[in-house]
Amino acid sequence: MNIRIILLIFLFQVSGFSGIIAAQEPMNRNWDAEKIKGTRHIPYPTYSGFPFLNDSWSPGKIEFASGEIADSLYLRYSSFKDEVVYYNKAITTQIVIDKNSLNGFSFTEKDGRTRVFRKQYYDGFMKGNRYFEVLSDGETDLLSYRKVSLVTTMPYKDEQNILKNMVYGTEYQYYFYSQEKGYNLARMNSNSFLSKFVKESQKPIKKLLRKNRIRILDENSFVQAWKVVEKEGFKVIF
Amino acid sequence: MKKFTYLFMFLISISMIGKTQEKSGFGFFTDRDVYVSGETLLAKIFTPEDNPSRIVYLDLVNQFNSRVTGVSLEIKNNQADGFLQLPDSLGSGTYMLRAYLRNTAEKIKIMREIWISNRFDGLEKIDQLKRVAGLEKIQEQKSGQIEIENVDAIYQTNSDIAATIKIDEHLLKEIEGNLLVSVAQTDPSFDPASFIWSSDQFKEGMTENKGIILSGTVTDKKTSEPAAGVTVYLTIPDTIPGFQYYQTRKDGRFYFLLEDYYGPVQAVVQCFGNTPAQRVKIAMDGLYAEPGKIPEFIQQPFPEEFTGNIKRNIDAITFQKIFSQDKIKLATPGIKKQELSPYYGNPTKTVDPQLFIDLPNFTEISRELLPGVKFRNYNNEPTLQVINNNMHTYFTENPLILIDGIPIRDLNVIKDMGTADIERIDVCQNERFYGDLRFPGVVALYTTKADYSRLPESDQLIRMNLETIQLQPIVSEPEIKESSIPDLRQDIYWNPSVVPGENLPVKCITSSIVGQFKLIVRGRLKNGNLIYSEKQFEVK
Repeated sequence: MNIRIILLIFLFQVSGFSGIIAAQEPMNRNWDAEKIKGTRHIPYPTYSGFPFLNDSWSPGKIEFASGEIADSLYLRYSSFKDEVVYYNKAITTQIVIDKNSLNGFSFTEKDGRTRVFRKQYYDGFMKGNRYFEVLSDGETDLLSYRKVSLVTTMPYKDEQNILKNMVYGTEYQYYFYSQEKGYNLARMNSNSFLSKFVKESQKPIKKLLRKNRIRILDENSFVQAWKVVEKEGFKVIF
Repeated sequence: MKKFTYLFMFLISISMIGKTQEKSGFGFFTDRDVYVSGETLLAKIFTPEDNPSRIVYLDLVNQFNSRVTGVSLEIKNNQADGFLQLPDSLGSGTYMLRAYLRNTAEKIKIMREIWISNRFDGLEKIDQLKRVAGLEKIQEQKSGQIEIENVDAIYQTNSDIAATIKIDEHLLKEIEGNLLVSVAQTDPSFDPASFIWSSDQFKEGMTENKGIILSGTVTDKKTSEPAAGVTVYLTIPDTIPGFQYYQTRKDGRFYFLLEDYYGPVQAVVQCFGNTPAQRVKIAMDGLYAEPGKIPEFIQQPFPEEFTGNIKRNIDAITFQKIFSQDKIKLATPGIKKQELSPYYGNPTKTVDPQLFIDLPNFTEISRELLPGVKFRNYNNEPTLQVINNNMHTYFTENPLILIDGIPIRDLNVIKDMGTADIERIDVCQNERFYGDLRFPGVVALYTTKADYSRLPESDQLIRMNLETIQLQPIVSEPEIKESSIPDLRQDIYWNPSVVPGENLPVKCITSSIVGQFKLIVRGRLKNGNLIYSEKQFEVK
């Protein structure tokens, strides 16, 4: 008797599930309205130094100008050309994504750190759209422009024993950015940091940093210092 | 054994409850129920809360089960409103309006019976009134918690109405979404109703949660089997053309999403075989659901009152047409973020051939105006090559050639195009990628006529005039300045998006039409029940 009841319940459940399964039309995996636009990535000339920010392909995602997001991509940010390159597995090609088709992108480093880049118009020297790394996001953002340039140096011989006199040199630039007030260049030292605030605030900020045992020596400590100061409500002057 | 029987009955009743619950969730209303061909019908639809679709379809089916016309409406907060232009050529008779969602169209449709009189024939060719029978009616509850105040029993023509709708505060908490408030002429001899058409034999379709989905199948013409691995292109020609592609799988199926398109749109769907020898054929799926089984009709003699009303309606609509009294205005949709560059990227150069001397063909244009583009036509076998700026050599393959944004492969189509035919030429002199597609350079021609007449007709190319998401309508206010022109509106108020409140004012002006009118308030409660309240008055 009990077996009959169990069988009956099972039968009803099976009929219910089969209805659900039959109701689903097989979805095609290549269903994707927004496609990535770009050009083939041409390898850069070989010099000492490194033209990319990340030395290998990092898993990441891009945000199109329409706001749509494409993920599961392998990305590299070229600091030299300020462009993002992705690897298209289907056609085994490295493609430079059109800057005007994106709002930004992000990728995760090997150490698990996610780096977020946002396309913004820069109105200073060399006007135009640039990818800025967002170091801190708030009312006032702390941004970094990860610039790498080819600079002339003393002649040297590379691995192929070819004489060269250029290297890829990092020229990272940091900015405080407010949507209303624009960009304010910052340098990675205490004096530059304090000069971004009104005189009356500088002493309490110094005290705050001491209390939090922060000494501005590099990018990390600068970001940490800004986050602590911002939390206390101090405003950057533009 | 008794225990077993009880359990069996219990399980059956549970499954039945599940099925009846599935049918609820829709509400479907129109401004009136008796129309004249050439008129505009206004509709409001409440859609089920648990369905994520963004689009609800509204179409018109005749007694012979043929679809006459249809529109797709955007659902916002589980409700949609729009209009349907009734063709001038419709014969007099009973028609069925249908509302459905793409994913559940085979399972459930909401039907509303309406009468349409032909503007020219009237009731000359008809002697019986057909009414729908045998379908389950959607029940509406008359609510005593909605009071309509300040409505007189009689109004003069062209006089002001200032009514107030009072809603009980307890009911307010139960109302879901917006209310529909309408004031329109009624015909008591044609009692309106909405019905549920449902089927247990159904296959769920794709959910249009982002926008309209265009779909179809590619078949091999030789074998008549679905063609796999064929790339299908969808182009929406424009100054900056819209473009999508889809690679078919084993089933030969393809899908395109039309997300940000509103109103009528021209579209071209095309594909090319995997090899030059392969001949394929595209078949598009209908945007609207199949008419399906016809509901049963019963025949009734025409009530005398109905015949008289129809004659007056026809006169009113004919005058409205003569004096161009439009019922609706179209609202401009919100500005969408436009593509800044076409899918083939920012062109390396753009040339306007009309600024230069007249050149008779594309060979001359490429020689004189397009450095880096080599078009030659030796022995009537044209070739086209574009320089690769990065490599400083010409690509060995043909570039992507576009006419008004539509890809073509046959160079004979462009060989005779002179400067008079071309508005603009975009050239990309580098290797471009769009998704997994690679273009060894791009030459995009935008023609002066932009009529796509140069596109070769074939089974591999389909041109369509699509009605995408309907633009939001606004019912026209009377704009009759001359006192000699009569105001012949039968709808004197239509607002499908009234935010519920304790006191809702309704202000409108009666038209020159005399007869019975009704002010109706309709809404849906959070439990899915449809409620209404109404007040009738006469215009003399």
